[in-house]
Amino acid sequence: MSARYPLPAARHPIADRFLADGAAVEEAIERFGSPLHVVFPQVMAENAAALTHVLRRHAVPHEVFYAHKVNASTALVAEAAAAGLGVDVASSAELDRALAAGFAPHRIEATGPKSPAFVERIASLGVTANADDLWELDRLAAAAPSGQPSGSNVQVLLRLSGFASPMVPHSRFGIDLADADAALETVRRAPGLELRGVAFHLDTADPAARVDALTESMAVVAAAYRKGLRPSVVDIGGGLRQRFVEDPEPFQRYAQALAAGPGELVWPGHDVVAPAAHKYGNHRPATEVLERFLTAEIERRPVAEVLRECMLTLWIEPGKALVDHAGITLASVLYRKRAAGRDLVVLDLSRNQVTPADQEVLVDPVVVDGRGDPPEKGVFLAGRLCLESDLISRRKVFLDAEPDSGDVLAFVNTAAYQMDLSASAAAGHPPPPKVAAVLDGGRFTFTAETPADTFDDHHGS
Amino acid sequence: MRYDSVLDMIGDTPLLRLDPAAHGVPGAEIFLKLESANPFGSVKDRVAWGLLRDHIGAIADEDRVVVEASSGNTAKALQIITSMHGVRFRAFTNRVRVREVREMLSLLGAEVTEMPGLSECPDPTAPNDVFSVIGDLMEGEPGRYHHTSQYTNEDNLRAHYEQTGREIFRDAGPVDLLVGGLGTTGSTRGAATYLREQNPQTAVVGVVAAEGDFIPGIRSAAEMWEVGLFEPDFYDAIAAVDSADAISASLELATRHGVLAGPTTGAAYAAARERLLSGPGGPVTAVVIACDRMEPYLSYYRHRRPDLFGAAAPTTSDPAPSVTAEAMEAWIADGEHVVVVDVRTALAFQAGHLPGAINLRDDLLEQIMEAGTPFSEASRVVFVCPTGERSARFAARAATTGCRAYNLEGGVLAWRDSGRPLAGV
Repeated sequence: MSARYPLPAARHPIADRFLADGAAVEEAIERFGSPLHVVFPQVMAENAAALTHVLRRHAVPHEVFYAHKVNASTALVAEAAAAGLGVDVASSAELDRALAAGFAPHRIEATGPKSPAFVERIASLGVTANADDLWELDRLAAAAPSGQPSGSNVQVLLRLSGFASPMVPHSRFGIDLADADAALETVRRAPGLELRGVAFHLDTADPAARVDALTESMAVVAAAYRKGLRPSVVDIGGGLRQRFVEDPEPFQRYAQALAAGPGELVWPGHDVVAPAAHKYGNHRPATEVLERFLTAEIERRPVAEVLRECMLTLWIEPGKALVDHAGITLASVLYRKRAAGRDLVVLDLSRNQVTPADQEVLVDPVVVDGRGDPPEKGVFLAGRLCLESDLISRRKVFLDAEPDSGDVLAFVNTAAYQMDLSASAAAGHPPPPKVAAVLDGGRFTFTAETPADTFDDHHGS
Repeated sequence: MRYDSVLDMIGDTPLLRLDPAAHGVPGAEIFLKLESANPFGSVKDRVAWGLLRDHIGAIADEDRVVVEASSGNTAKALQIITSMHGVRFRAFTNRVRVREVREMLSLLGAEVTEMPGLSECPDPTAPNDVFSVIGDLMEGEPGRYHHTSQYTNEDNLRAHYEQTGREIFRDAGPVDLLVGGLGTTGSTRGAATYLREQNPQTAVVGVVAAEGDFIPGIRSAAEMWEVGLFEPDFYDAIAAVDSADAISASLELATRHGVLAGPTTGAAYAAARERLLSGPGGPVTAVVIACDRMEPYLSYYRHRRPDLFGAAAPTTSDPAPSVTAEAMEAWIADGEHVVVVDVRTALAFQAGHLPGAINLRDDLLEQIMEAGTPFSEASRVVFVCPTGERSARFAARAATTGCRAYNLEGGVLAWRDSGRPLAGV
């Protein structure tokens, strides 16, 4: 008998309660169908409050922008508005949803590569532009309405990259530090642009990398002052982690077993890589990562105090951290079978509808209302597409109960990138609908999101 | 008492009974285990000697270099012991955070490699911690180094099990409560294991720094799991103490009991008292491990409690003379010599400051001004900080020495927001 390597997912109390409420799950599936993405706006509100609490406690002037790209849900973007956050949009469609959710343009910031049409909209609406390139700055300068009274200019952040510190990972985004002077010059000369500040985004949770990037960014702030510009913001982007597990131990055990040889753990022909520093082994909350940055030291002084001394407002753009545990995905078991000498559970779901960018998800789903002892043997989860690769799990998962035809499997904590980053409508299976579940007086109430909102890209950017 | 080697003086430290009238916890006998009485000044003397005692001869013969991840008392003790044996020692640390500790290590000739940003203890989630740097170093030159590995070496525990715990039991009898700060966790756990063998009811409280706070020598609750020796189930409670309470308690130990102990001891004493006062009461024997002395932390005390060093905010009866930006500009226009002193960090100064200002960050300026006011009486001196609060203190203090000192109203922030120019470096 081979050993079991379950990867139990951490569960928020609201998700826990929902999954324990068989009637609520049944109602959701009956009304909205299977598969189904369920989002929990209340969890997002809780995450937002936790992050702002840390910033307040360290007395840092701040703004938090929800990185909308993690999830197309209109309920979550509306919750961000209600929680008093700003929003960070990456496309015209996201901008539409932000405006529809009630965000005023000055609470909206646009990041990432932008099409000419998107740049035009940003400039005409007065959305803050987080500029990715000199080309974009030129476009913004041309599009910004000139002759406005001061204060109604288009606000610009320069997203910087190319940091000298070896701690800072390389990035394909942003304006190289070597071009920062040219960027400042473009902003200075453009009558309709105003420098709001500098920005960077690091794909790491390491506070030391952020400290180094912050330190190097200050040279650009200094150069801006020399040109008579008035930067007042430093935007450190997102990159705060999610917390998928309560306890890193099962993940470490699994990673060791995998490293020793995939053997029976992985479907033949596929690679499942679980390096030790993988995101699913993380058990530190995002608040802790933020706290470690604010208490890290520059010149023997905490970053929080240095930011106050530099007279800069700290902007952060969390996405994953804000929707951590704010969503789950439900799918029904079609049938079970043996194939290639292995146990398969076939679901009415496709791999790309619950998996971000084809990455293997390294936590196990839950059998809703599952009973009995956990099965000894693990199973592979298959999707419904006519592709050999449409395995929802290319690795063996160890479920907490035997799944039978008609049972519902719940994938926990899928709100960050797992619902829409890669979802396709292949073979005529539309991406699963979304529904917002709100716990009110001990009962869950559901509000459907319209597919038009979810897949609205009529601006084509 | 005569000794023939300072190393023989390690251990067998005094157990001090605190006067119940002075500690004020009803029904409690509180003892301090004065590890500060070790010859190099801390509980780490036992650890360092425990880790090296059986190996130092071979290390010296093979001309190996001792390496350890430490920035504090362990590094100090290892440096002293290795230099006595003609052995080289290298310490790796993410950051030496206390000035006196840094100065002491350099005075003793330690080779300290500082690696800002790296975790100082084994961290499976960090791609590069101090341990992997040490690992790479050892792999690069096999046989060249001896890693004492205080965080994972069971000798660390054994030193406290065989000595510290035994000594406490010998002097105090069965112990109901043992409280100690958690750094490597060796001292508390080693001693507690022995004490629990004598009295299974011994409660053990490990003390950590409150989240986001800093107490030298101990970790925060969140950092604890990283330590290889840490077993959370071992403790009856993990108490988080903030630096303010740790400092107050250490001052209380000094003034009421005459024990000059550092902030970690203060934290442990505060946690012990808290637990005893909230407990069921009755006769109880508690032991607090006093791990080191107060003096090496003066800069820490000064940083956290500037009020204790004569740098209190000026009283309202003696406000700082202040000046508006307009008035200051008028002086300059009149040809007066005005020195603008910006007390922020170099980074903030570099990013943007009043044109012509000089930069003397507050903690350095404080030290300078202890020696006297460095400004000419012919100049007007205007102090600036972000908002004008911190600089007011310096203006007031300089003014009392006869300097023509002023505080810029509203600080750099008001200056910037009024549209006045800022210079960058």
